[in-house]
Amino acid sequence: MRRFDAIELVLRLAGDRPIVGNLGPTSDELWHAGHRDRNFYTYGNMGLVSSIGLGMALATDEQIICMDGDGSLLMNLGTLASIGRERPKNLIVLVYDNEAWGQTGHQLSHTGTGTSLEAAAQACGISSATTVSDLEELEGALSTALETDGPHFIVAKIEEAGYLPVAPVEPEFTLYRFRNTFVQGQQPQPPR
Amino acid sequence: MNADTTRPDNWAHLIVQALKDYDTSLIAYVPDTSIHRVTRIIDQDPFFHLVSATREEEAVGIAVGSYAAGRNAAVFMQTSGFGNSINALASLCIPARAPIPFFINMRGGTGEFNISQVPMGRTTVPILDLFGLVSYTIDDEYRMDNLLDGAMKLCYANRQPVAVCLTQRLHGGKFA
Repeated sequence: MRRFDAIELVLRLAGDRPIVGNLGPTSDELWHAGHRDRNFYTYGNMGLVSSIGLGMALATDEQIICMDGDGSLLMNLGTLASIGRERPKNLIVLVYDNEAWGQTGHQLSHTGTGTSLEAAAQACGISSATTVSDLEELEGALSTALETDGPHFIVAKIEEAGYLPVAPVEPEFTLYRFRNTFVQGQQPQPPR
Repeated sequence: MNADTTRPDNWAHLIVQALKDYDTSLIAYVPDTSIHRVTRIIDQDPFFHLVSATREEEAVGIAVGSYAAGRNAAVFMQTSGFGNSINALASLCIPARAPIPFFINMRGGTGEFNISQVPMGRTTVPILDLFGLVSYTIDDEYRMDNLLDGAMKLCYANRQPVAVCLTQRLHGGKFA
């Protein structure tokens, strides 16, 4: 399964739901597959995308789809424990697992040497955790997740297939545009 | 209210009020003895959702996600945790212009008993200065409500993090 094809599937199933993408190729491919105001692209802060997704899920009742990566999540495994502790019903974490740090020369990641992110999620209290290896399985798992209470955790095994051009997005505009689909105005007004 | 010495932990109540005044209701934190005197008030108030993070950079990510989805958020940590969160501040909050108030318990100053806390305590404000971020160090409750109000207002107006640094002279700190 190619990540780009998986992202196109996610966009098709997501409807208007917010999607937050991991840094680098995942956010680039999300933009190329279908730019929309409710895409939150990250371009730094490696490891934090599932934490950002958790924060979003605690701020709204809408379902949040968070797309992480194996190398990134390994930098911040503690956030699985925080998700397991908060148990937001509206959070779906989808991890694209290529068993490598793809951007830095395809060095083998820990998921290629025996670490199971699905088992880690379950051990942290995320009982709905599964691994899929093709688009048909992903469509089934994501469809179920969208129709049931979470949190849900899906590991999608992918193969690397080259990189698309960097998406022309700016973090400041991404945050401004995304937030404005939830609330109007950027400043809280003190009651006085 | 400003210098209400009759109320235990008045300084903590002033922080809680400032958060409410600016509709900042999701609080992500890593526990700290002095910060606990604020978060225990927050935890009992249904206005807030207190989120326990496993590490301070995670707390920053949670706060930015909350703000992105329309709920204002703040983070609480001590100076060693500020050290853990520097890249989240630098590569997420600043480029995205995420207005997250940082409440930092200043270890390593007067009254510190642990040598390991001193380096990060002494470098937290200089690091904030290098980023061009505004910070306010609070040593006592004199006009503290006024300062907190101004810090919160500036944070959201400028859409950048503002740090409120709480010293051991303010809250008494942690003793060995």
